[in-house]
Amino acid sequence: MTRIQGGLINRDKKLNFTFNGTSYQGFEGDTLASALLANGVQLVGRSFKYHRPRGIYTAGSEEPNALVELGTGARLEPNTRATVVELFEGLSAKSQNHMGSLERDLLAVNDLMSPFLAAGFYYKTFMWPRVFWEKVYEPIIRKAAGLGSLSMLPDPDSYDRGFLHPDLLVIGGGAAGLMAALTAARAGAEVVIADEDSRLGGRLLSEGGMIDDAPALDWVACVLDELSSMTNVKLMARTTVFGAYDHGIFGAVERVSEHLADGGGKVRQTYWRITAKQTILASGATERHIPFADNDRPGIMMAGAMRSYANRWAVTPQRDNKAPVAIFTNNDDGHRTAMTLVEKGVPVLGVVDARANASSFGEYETFANATVTGSHGRKGLSSIEVTRKGSAQWLECGALGVSGGWNPNVHLASHHRGRPVWNEDKLTFVPDNNAPKGMLIAGAARGNGSTREALADGVLIAKQALMALGITPVSAAVPVAGEEASAIEAFWHVPAKKRAWVDFQNDVTVKDIKLAHQENMRPVEHLKRWTTLGMATDQGKTSNVTALAVMAELSSQTIPETGTTIFRPPYTPVSMGVLGGGDTGANFRPHRLTPTDTFAKSQGAVFTEVGQWMRAQYFPQEGETHWRQSVDREALAVRSSVGICDVTTLGKIDVQGKDAGEFLHRVYANMMGTLKEGMVRYGLMLREDGKLYDDGTCARLGENHYVVTTTTANAGIVFQRMEFARQCLWPDLDVTLISTTDAWAQFAIAGPNSRKLLERVMDDMDISNEAFPFMACRATTVCGGLRARLFRISFSGELAFELAVPARYGNALMERLLNLGKDLNATPYGTEALGVLRIEKGHSTGNELTGQTTAAMIGLGKMVSAKKDSIGSIMSRREGLANETLRLVGFEPIDSNQPVVTGSHLINLGDPVDLEHDQGWITSAAYSPHVGSSIGLGYLQNGDQRMGEEIVAANPLEGQSVRVRVVSAHFVDPKGERLRD
Amino acid sequence: MTDLTPITALGASAPRSQDFGAYTLRENSALALVSLAIARCATPPTPFGLTLPSAGCCTTHADYTAFWTSPDQWMITAENLGETDFAATVQNEVPDARLTEQTDGWVAFDITAETDGQIGAVLSRVANLPLIDLTPGKAVRTGFDHMSIFLVRRSERHVTVIVMRTLAVTLWHALETILQRLGDTK
Amino acid sequence: MLIPHPLLGLRDAQEFTYLGDANLLNRPDPTAPDAEAAFCDYVFLRDNPAGKHRELWFHEQGDRSWLVVTRDTLTHEISDVELATDVARRGK
Repeated sequence: MTRIQGGLINRDKKLNFTFNGTSYQGFEGDTLASALLANGVQLVGRSFKYHRPRGIYTAGSEEPNALVELGTGARLEPNTRATVVELFEGLSAKSQNHMGSLERDLLAVNDLMSPFLAAGFYYKTFMWPRVFWEKVYEPIIRKAAGLGSLSMLPDPDSYDRGFLHPDLLVIGGGAAGLMAALTAARAGAEVVIADEDSRLGGRLLSEGGMIDDAPALDWVACVLDELSSMTNVKLMARTTVFGAYDHGIFGAVERVSEHLADGGGKVRQTYWRITAKQTILASGATERHIPFADNDRPGIMMAGAMRSYANRWAVTPQRDNKAPVAIFTNNDDGHRTAMTLVEKGVPVLGVVDARANASSFGEYETFANATVTGSHGRKGLSSIEVTRKGSAQWLECGALGVSGGWNPNVHLASHHRGRPVWNEDKLTFVPDNNAPKGMLIAGAARGNGSTREALADGVLIAKQALMALGITPVSAAVPVAGEEASAIEAFWHVPAKKRAWVDFQNDVTVKDIKLAHQENMRPVEHLKRWTTLGMATDQGKTSNVTALAVMAELSSQTIPETGTTIFRPPYTPVSMGVLGGGDTGANFRPHRLTPTDTFAKSQGAVFTEVGQWMRAQYFPQEGETHWRQSVDREALAVRSSVGICDVTTLGKIDVQGKDAGEFLHRVYANMMGTLKEGMVRYGLMLREDGKLYDDGTCARLGENHYVVTTTTANAGIVFQRMEFARQCLWPDLDVTLISTTDAWAQFAIAGPNSRKLLERVMDDMDISNEAFPFMACRATTVCGGLRARLFRISFSGELAFELAVPARYGNALMERLLNLGKDLNATPYGTEALGVLRIEKGHSTGNELTGQTTAAMIGLGKMVSAKKDSIGSIMSRREGLANETLRLVGFEPIDSNQPVVTGSHLINLGDPVDLEHDQGWITSAAYSPHVGSSIGLGYLQNGDQRMGEEIVAANPLEGQSVRVRVVSAHFVDPKGERLRD
Repeated sequence: MTDLTPITALGASAPRSQDFGAYTLRENSALALVSLAIARCATPPTPFGLTLPSAGCCTTHADYTAFWTSPDQWMITAENLGETDFAATVQNEVPDARLTEQTDGWVAFDITAETDGQIGAVLSRVANLPLIDLTPGKAVRTGFDHMSIFLVRRSERHVTVIVMRTLAVTLWHALETILQRLGDTK
Repeated sequence: MLIPHPLLGLRDAQEFTYLGDANLLNRPDPTAPDAEAAFCDYVFLRDNPAGKHRELWFHEQGDRSWLVVTRDTLTHEISDVELATDVARRGK
């Protein structure tokens, strides 16, 4: 155990957890990393490429090494950073990326092969022979690629999402962020402050220090008290703002219950979409390291992280707390860690400082003008080599803290491609004035990292944000804090013969960068792709700038000349589940239920999805074992007596106004202005390019009142385009459009006995052929005064009506009709029989109206009026369309036992089956109980002139070839007498 | 009166209602709705004494509420008149207006809360809009879970969510999920 | 993105569907002698500027207004928004 006094942990609350099957204990407030360190566990994983033993390197989300598989079963999650996992009772974690045990990883052999695995290894090795690409190389690479393993089970957790619209979003809850939030909130702004950590406070949680003559932590508590008492502030811990999008929109993930033992029955995470008028990026800074030979050994970590572990979690980084700890630095902040450790009673070997004139700040030894040039220790650090003026000595050492300075977390400031600029004084990249519009940057995120600077910056930047918001700040004193020493000298890496790691996660060493330089992969973008530097889960948070500096040195350029790195979202990895947010399975997307859904379910109907609609596909009856039996029965019932189908899904648009008739005249390709009151007309709609896009009916209910129906699939787009015509093309027409699809339950009542059945529900309306002829429509009442609309239209080719009633009565009306029609064998039919009936009648639907179809192709060319202008009329007459010779015709197999298959291509007898000899294709096919064989509709070159011809319907995909006869598309009643009966 | 028995949008004989801690979700199947449109630049009428509101707003007078839906278009709702021919009633009030019966085009779910401020938490999960656009007296149409909905903020503790009738089951499920989570954390 | 709706204020772009070049408002005269050529241009030819662009957006999850939005395609900055119907009427 290496636990020391103090810290922000609750020692009264012990927590049991396991790592690689071994049980350990930690405390409430621990992270998995701090608890492992407290138990003396240094080795926590293996590196990606060389399978080198690795330990915990940082204390935050930038962690490159300590990636673990968290959880078990379906909740197993790979690549979880132990440094941000909050400990809970029963937590179970495993190390990853090793074959066999963590201690004896068989793939450690890769490390011995490292000379062959250098930068660009993949590109160089898997080149030849070419035949190996797919069969040999790809399986090998795939097996080796990737970190951690997946459960391969569905995600059992639920996710939530929400929206926030604050005046000001403060990203980061450290000294600058808290001060900014406080300043803005006191002035009355609506403030959201989000921090990825489990508690707000930022680096103040990791440092000692005083603010306003009191411990900094007291100040944090005070500010949090004040903020949480304000109704205009939303404090969001455990919330990572991962991306900056246009116009002040940010994506953020709140980890709601991941820190609880069983998730507490709550959602796992919430995806917040935050739209902020102003944003302050106070995301702090991330420490960088200094590469030296064998610098990746467990026990070596960032000096600042060591300080966090000591102050916040009361742990020290050695396996044995008597082993001395050393610091390697090029700046004053490294000394701060030494002072902290001394103060905590941890044995300090000393500070190895690369600077010539370095001296101690406290009771510890300083090795000035010295560097660390090597390390020993099989699974964890045991000694380091310190070299001063060419003389080297090995010193016993249980842990080494490395500090190469701090890099501002500019990530979100660069999400709109704003490049940071180099600051030679601070030796770091700081944001330029090119952050996303509305974003200001405060504190360490712009290089003002001392507590004093950060507090002042928080106030200053918040005032700027308030000014932009038009809110007057309330004046208040800036809290007083000490100015920490922060001098730094450029020192980027210790030259070495052995490997010195720059990017731990991707096993990129100084040598790899040298190789990239030699091979002319010098621009940072090339460097990244050649070496994989800065890739994967940490995106180079601890390595990018150092790599750039090494490349600069090799190419004798300055760092800004060498390049800058910018970042894309997300800041840290985001789970797909939370982005999907919300429902899965049956609730994945909305379902629209028809008015007769209850009835259909009670009948055991089989449903099909049509867009969002759930429609009854067919209604199986007892004894029917195959869907065809049900569908044939339903279709035959319509042809022989009467059937009823719920056709509510057809789009219905109410068109009213003085100019409604004129408007429809311009929207439909055929004559619509002459439609009389009380009548319905079939209508074709074209796109402006002259192609057909929808068909339907238009009913004139009153002088200035029409109802347009659209196909089910196009209801939305037709409405949108009609609105376009109304608002954008002919704004002077006085017309109103209202979608009314759901208001009316609509039924097709079709078959020779449809009138007889319908008469039984009509109140007093005469529906004889004389009184209510084909294509008539009327408002009426049924079933004792229920208001209804009746249309005499037919999709099946039979005598048919469509009856509409208020949707709430739809289910009862369906049942009533079936009851009253028992003697007529009144039969409910579904979409499948509907399809059969319309194919038998030769009516087009989506299969025929492909977006490439002209009116002439479906035999309705003459409907497109040349006497008027309507949408698409001019372009429908252009040469290419006018010369189109494909025509919709019907097909019957010569051998009635053979099927006609949708998608088959039509080939003249004797011709080869290839594109050159293509004559058209089958668009729809079904078994027709009426014809007694399979039948099809399709487009055939000059089809209208080829009746009776034999042709081949070929389906080379499945080796089918069926001889078919070209027939009229109207298999039923080609003269249309039945529907006028 | 017809002898057919109507069912609610959720497919039952009676409207559904459920409590979730501080919240109640209630299907209002008796709400009558009608769209009212006028010609461009025509003077808006005042049916039942309602002043037709401007964009983004609603007005209420007795049992009647009007909310803006688009330029020159409003929805008029009336409590407890769902079983009547409300469009005809409104047409009598405003003979020149263009009316479209909408009672069964939509379903209305009322969400009520026990105390002030609780509706905000619901709205911030339903609508990607600033809460200032959803204060009492405001009414908007927006997208929610791939559905198009109206939100009519009737009072501090009451909002009505209106969706196409055929989506009733989906919307109920979505609201139930939200209220269960919020109700639990009370 | 946020689109400043002239009647409803800032609305998230997710409420809208996009159509493209606002030149679609300028439907050619169908009675002109060169109508077919003019319609051909109108239907098929679009400017695709890197910079300010006038384009049509439909407030599908809102009030069903068509808008003419002037947006910089490089920065997404929106400098002007009008109801398309106002633009269309002014053009007459």
